[in-house]
Amino acid sequence: MLEVRKLDAGYGLLPVLRGIDLDIRPGEITLLVGANGAGKSTLLRTIAGFLKPTAGTILFDGTELAGRKPDDIARSGARLVLDGHRVFRDLSVWDNLRLGAAARRDRAAFDALAADVIDLFPILGEKRKLPAGSLSGGQQQMLALAQAFLGGPKLLMCDEPSLGLAQSLLPAIFEALRAWAARGTAILVVEQHVDIARPYASKILHMDRGMLQPTP
Amino acid sequence: MRAENLQAGAALALILATGLIPDLAGSDYWSYSFQFANLLIVAAVLQSVLMHDADQISFGQGAIFGVGAYVSALAMTKLGLPLPLAVICAAAGAGLAGLLYAIPALRVQGYYLGFVTLSLAAVFPELLFAMDAYTNGINGISTPAGAWKQPLLLGLSPLSLFTTALACAAIVGHVLLRRSVVGRKIRVAGASPESAQTLGIRPGLVRSAVFVVTSACTGAAGALYPPIVGFVSPAAFHLELSILLFLAVVVGGRGQILGPVAGIYLLYLLPNVLLVDLIDYRLLAYGLVALGVMLLMPDGLVGTVGQWLSKRRVAAVAHLSPDELPIPPAARRADIAGPEISIRGGTKTFGAVVALDQVDLDIERGAIIGLVGANGSGKTSLINAITGFNKLSGGSIAIRGRATDRMSPAGIARLGIGRTFQTPRIFDHLTAWENIQIGAEARLRPLAAIPEGPLARLRDRLAGSDVRTIPHGQRRSIEVLRAVLTGAEVLLLDEPAAGLSPEERQQLATLLLRLRDEAGKTILLVEHDLDLVWRIADRIVVMERGRIVAQGAPADVADDPAVRQLFAVPAHA
Amino acid sequence: MLEELAFVSVRGLGLGALFALLALSLNVIYQATHILNFAQGSMLVLGGLAGVMLSGHDYGTPIWFAGMLGTGLVMAAVMAVQGVITLWPLRHSTEQQSWLITTLAVSIIISAVLLLTQGPWSSEFIGEVPSFPVLDMRTPLPYLVLPLMAVFWFVALRLFLRRSLQGLALSALSQDLDAAAAAGLHVRRLQIAAFAISGLITGTAGYAAAPIISISAESGIRYVISGFVVAVVGGMGSMAGAIVAGPLVGILAMIATYRFGGQYQGFVSLIVLAGMLFLKPNGLFGFTAARRV
Repeated sequence: MLEVRKLDAGYGLLPVLRGIDLDIRPGEITLLVGANGAGKSTLLRTIAGFLKPTAGTILFDGTELAGRKPDDIARSGARLVLDGHRVFRDLSVWDNLRLGAAARRDRAAFDALAADVIDLFPILGEKRKLPAGSLSGGQQQMLALAQAFLGGPKLLMCDEPSLGLAQSLLPAIFEALRAWAARGTAILVVEQHVDIARPYASKILHMDRGMLQPTP
Repeated sequence: MRAENLQAGAALALILATGLIPDLAGSDYWSYSFQFANLLIVAAVLQSVLMHDADQISFGQGAIFGVGAYVSALAMTKLGLPLPLAVICAAAGAGLAGLLYAIPALRVQGYYLGFVTLSLAAVFPELLFAMDAYTNGINGISTPAGAWKQPLLLGLSPLSLFTTALACAAIVGHVLLRRSVVGRKIRVAGASPESAQTLGIRPGLVRSAVFVVTSACTGAAGALYPPIVGFVSPAAFHLELSILLFLAVVVGGRGQILGPVAGIYLLYLLPNVLLVDLIDYRLLAYGLVALGVMLLMPDGLVGTVGQWLSKRRVAAVAHLSPDELPIPPAARRADIAGPEISIRGGTKTFGAVVALDQVDLDIERGAIIGLVGANGSGKTSLINAITGFNKLSGGSIAIRGRATDRMSPAGIARLGIGRTFQTPRIFDHLTAWENIQIGAEARLRPLAAIPEGPLARLRDRLAGSDVRTIPHGQRRSIEVLRAVLTGAEVLLLDEPAAGLSPEERQQLATLLLRLRDEAGKTILLVEHDLDLVWRIADRIVVMERGRIVAQGAPADVADDPAVRQLFAVPAHA
Repeated sequence: MLEELAFVSVRGLGLGALFALLALSLNVIYQATHILNFAQGSMLVLGGLAGVMLSGHDYGTPIWFAGMLGTGLVMAAVMAVQGVITLWPLRHSTEQQSWLITTLAVSIIISAVLLLTQGPWSSEFIGEVPSFPVLDMRTPLPYLVLPLMAVFWFVALRLFLRRSLQGLALSALSQDLDAAAAAGLHVRRLQIAAFAISGLITGTAGYAAAPIISISAESGIRYVISGFVVAVVGGMGSMAGAIVAGPLVGILAMIATYRFGGQYQGFVSLIVLAGMLFLKPNGLFGFTAARRV
């Protein structure tokens, strides 16, 4: 589904990614680990279109993603959940969810998916009318994930979902990812808490100083 | 450099031709048009210096020009002064007006500064009306040129000679400014005020000085307006003039020597002279040209042509090995023993966020100290506190025993503290060599003489390089070398290995070891690359959530269980 | 004394409401794109021109409303076109400041067109302007209509941005541009919609204010400066700030006009702007958004 070949990217003239080769298949959870500054977030942002690659290709179901705008890529089915549990703070939880699916016009599908999401994260149902800014960090992370999932993505990328969250919330988040993977979504997760994430992953990739280490 | 010379040559040729030929040919109409155009060129060059070199947005230079014109007119009519003296008065008056612009520039930048200058320029005509006892209000003041327009030599009038000379001086002055120490300081202060401070430059002072000087010169140009046109009135100095000068610089090509000339020709001469029969369409042509150029050639006319031409030439890429970098020998220092930097109880809070929490740290002379920790652990806050970019909320910092709590970053730089940033502050508008030179020019501390040989060889190696083609690793080396050349004894390096390839990391390690061993420098290295840190550091400090959780020799820190929990320590220790 | 107070208050409020409407429309664009539209004043003048063109024919109130609606829609379309032109170079993000020039250029082009079609003098509203009494003084109706319009647009914007899906999307864009893009919202389309909404507000405001504003080639830039001052004083991007700062600046300007004469309006704006930038650069309701570009 996602084929990355010889990808180079960076910020301005600061090169970060060097020659990345990557394959992601549907229904799998791929875990990306590595030290700070290794380039994991940069890789996700480049695939999602926030950074323009300086070399290489990113093929998503056969179409080239490199050079396209981030909102265009998101609408094609590759969604990135940014790090830092970013939600639209002044809008209600329910409005945040609606916006996640705004690009698709399928009302029935939205209702079904929304019901599923509320099952996974009941707190979102309880607080649906409250502004998203009033939720705790962990709840906002759930909301951000739910928002992305409601867009019905084929590829879901998550950047450090556990950052700043209480340990107790992580299983719920990874259970949700597992459930979505079971439906056929391909999932690529960057995660510091390797031990907690490991049991859920089909594949683990190590990144070091801008390059993917060969898998042992 | 070659491109600049070419452009300067072209500009001078155009100015001389248009300034002198009409007089020789005896055409009063073209004489007048080009005299006026040349004055606008002077004002546009100054606007370019302000906007591009100093990075200040000003929508009000037309008003400054008008101040010059009015002061000159008043000096000549009310005080009976001859033109040269009137020019001096005008420069003084305009310089004062420039001070009015400089004050808000200390407080706000960017488009906020643009508004303030825009508003100031908008009230200038109103001011002229309000002072109509002196300015004669809407009727203006009549200022016949007299002898200045009489042919002096071969049909050339003194006024033509004067304006042509002034315009040529502006072009030459711009080029010379760029090549001078002062010019480089201005450009560094404009491009990166933070970096400027680490070089001991005070950006606020530089900005104010640039405003005052460019305004004085603009006023001097404005002083020639009355004799050329024959009278001054408020209608001539509306906002439109300020906007024209601004647009001329951008449409011509920001930062290009030929840019202001191209801009004035496109936006003033083209509509006003070529369309003189279609006078009503002038304004439309002006707007359409400005819009069209910006849509099709966002870098301006000269900028886009220049880029297109330079694509043909492939620039040489310089590769520097660490052995080639000139390292000054260790300075003999007679001062007191003791740590270079000493922090006690250092605490920094941003609202509810605690960035630094009771940090006690000594940095001893001649050592490489590695500072590691996760993002958000306080490493950059610590560097910012030491270098004065952030003041501590609690605790104190002393540099060689001297308390630095109240010092500005520029002042701390003068104590011999050098710093690099996470993204190398390399200035694209300076050459590669100039990027290093500005360190030496900062002259923050007496520098033990660097062997002239290596320095000259480096200069030759870099001479032809476009700084944009220099690979990232080398940019990093350039930034470090610049800091060394300021005479700094202590170097604070913020993630210098970020973005480097494995070979480049090796070269960086070699460079840092040379700096410690040959030059006796003290280095504080903030890094994520634990391999690198463990390899070269004498001592390692580990931070987590604003506190120091471990410090000591690399082997000891590696064995510390608290540290092992935070991250995977490199196998060798 | 009371008459003085009433005169200054009513006219100051009306003028201030006009500035507030300008500031609202500037803020809509700013929130979605971080662009400051230098052509906004020219757009106001075009709206006023429409009002003048329909004057003197004794059409009656329903036609007047229809004219206002039509003007609003036309100006929305015009500004949508301006939006496309202004945003187009930004896709390459080589020259991030190009919007400064393109919006200035559009302002100049509109001035030029006005000069060509209307001549250099200002277009006057033809016929008698309906007025309403304030303590024995006849005050032109726009001074009453504009404050009502300001309140209307403020409320309408608020409802739109909070209730409709497109409005929510636009609101999301201004809260977190990256997150909005990551959520698949049509960034470019929403930004052009912001321009169109801005045109709707400015067009109707100009139309209603036609009898009391200066409709000439050179007045556009003066209006946009007033709009900027109010937007900055209220806090760049803040709608509530615009509504509060508008009357504040308007009344101060009116006091200065009354005491010292009309030519000092510019000074008042300048002093208020300078004062606010020194004391509280983020404005009355401003967030710690970038005051540096």
